Amino acid sequence: MSRGTPTSSSLTPTDDALIAAIRSGDERALAHLYRLHWPMVSHFVLQNSGSEDDAQDVYQEGVMVFYEKVRDGSLELSCQIKTYLYAVCRRLWLKRLTSKSRFGVRLLDDEEHGPYLNTGAEEDVLAAEEQDRRFNTMSEALNHLGEPCRSLLEGFYLLDKSMQDLTTEFGYTNADNAKNQKYKCLVRLKKLFFANYKEAPI
Amino acid sequence: MMTEADYYALFEAYADGELAGPARANLEARMAADPDFALRYADFTELTGTLRAYRQRQQTREQLRGIHGAMLAAESPEVAPAAEQPAKLTHTVNPMLRISRTERKLREFWSGHRATVGVAASVAVMAVFATLLGLDIWRTNHLPIPAGYQALRREINNLKQNQKVLNNTIQRIDGSVTPLVPVSKFSGTGFALTSEGYIVTSYHVIQGADSVLVEGRDKQRFHAEPVYSDTKHDLAILRITDRKFTGFGRLPYAIKAGQADLGERVFTLGYPREDVVYGEGSLSARSGFEGDTAFYQVSIPVNPGNSGGPLLDERGNLIGVVSGRQNDAQSAAFATKSSYLVRLVDSLAANAKATAPYHLPRYGQLAGTGRPQQLKKLQDYVFVVKVYEKD
Repeated sequence: MSRGTPTSSSLTPTDDALIAAIRSGDERALAHLYRLHWPMVSHFVLQNSGSEDDAQDVYQEGVMVFYEKVRDGSLELSCQIKTYLYAVCRRLWLKRLTSKSRFGVRLLDDEEHGPYLNTGAEEDVLAAEEQDRRFNTMSEALNHLGEPCRSLLEGFYLLDKSMQDLTTEFGYTNADNAKNQKYKCLVRLKKLFFANYKEAPI
Repeated sequence: MMTEADYYALFEAYADGELAGPARANLEARMAADPDFALRYADFTELTGTLRAYRQRQQTREQLRGIHGAMLAAESPEVAPAAEQPAKLTHTVNPMLRISRTERKLREFWSGHRATVGVAASVAVMAVFATLLGLDIWRTNHLPIPAGYQALRREINNLKQNQKVLNNTIQRIDGSVTPLVPVSKFSGTGFALTSEGYIVTSYHVIQGADSVLVEGRDKQRFHAEPVYSDTKHDLAILRITDRKFTGFGRLPYAIKAGQADLGERVFTLGYPREDVVYGEGSLSARSGFEGDTAFYQVSIPVNPGNSGGPLLDERGNLIGVVSGRQNDAQSAAFATKSSYLVRLVDSLAANAKATAPYHLPRYGQLAGTGRPQQLKKLQDYVFVVKVYEKD
């Protein structure tokens, strides 16, 4: 593995290959990455007054941030994947700890994971949080939409059903009818979504 | 008129790339021309984009959960060689993970209550020390204090503050009340100067006296009156005025006109209490308190009441008159030099009345004899000087 090499702050061929594989949609590469760094993060969280479940939550959030950036192609790594993941998960766990602790929080860090500052993880985590907020608003808007719009939109956008299937499922006379209904629903969803999303505190 | 839903149909077709050439160009032109319209399209793309991203997020989460489950599943039968690859990784990267259930519980408890435990422990430690300290202070405060210790110390402090107070204090101490003689206010010591009835004592003993009584070892009492006082050298000369007084007889000591030498062994007799008390030491300095050359410093332990006592050397010559002591120094007593006494007597003798001449003893009889013999002879010539004051 790349750990311990003098140029450990730069990307190693293994990291590059892994990122390329993940970008191409290789699920095994993602699974490999996941397994590779899980012990580090779980150890970190357990050491800092977290449970196994906390570790899993934090790690999955962290990998999600990483994975989404890789898929977008917007990832700009200045360090190893390992360091980046550590920094992201550290930031996430710190946030959770401070929100539930009365006292100031000090984290015990593993020195071996190198300079976790200035990895760009901070901004990425903030962006991910913004994204989370957007998704939550969307989820709420969907819940307020009411039937059958909700099921229709969820079916089309979230469950990836075809218009044809939805037509039969909801008993529309033809696909065009279903489509029209869908557009109307979208307009309503738009109003709900933007009303909530824009006025929500930043 | 197109409804918003119709626009959405159009947008979707456009976004999916299903719009034919002219309609597409038409739409793009309209978007370029009409900012409101462009904004509407932007809203549409954001909405559908968010929906798609939301879906992707859910899928990813599902996927990761699956991976985690698979990992745990691969990890649990790791004792069996089946799941070599992931198990090995877990092992080598972090052996810390393999802790027992109890230990994990303990760890969780510790990490959760670390701060509280720390605060509780420090409070306990502080309480213990505060209690110990408090007990100690209480105990030292309630120790029985040796009688007179406190008062002496307070006096010393006062003396340090003010030299004038020091002098006054010395005088007060030296002339203080002897409790067993309730009628006299102060008492000191005196000794015979001539066989005709002159007695020497310290000036501060008879200071402010209304009447003076001299009492010998055999409890014989004589009235006396001050003849001359020398406040500067703390000397006073009394004369016995009783008619029945016939004289002391020959004095056993001579009065030394010169100075005594440093380190000479000296002794004194005095009445710091009802009985005569002997004290001895050596001449430690040829100047007195604050460098006063009229005095010697001697290392004799003296007490209030010793004032006015004779200071004699080894051969029984009178060399001084005990005057005071320094409270904040160890065993530092002061005595007026006998040379001043001699000078004083000489000046008095020059214009003395014929009825009361001064015949100073010229030769001592004490040289060569042992100390007890010396004292036996001496003590008949040492008196208590009792002073009465009008209030």
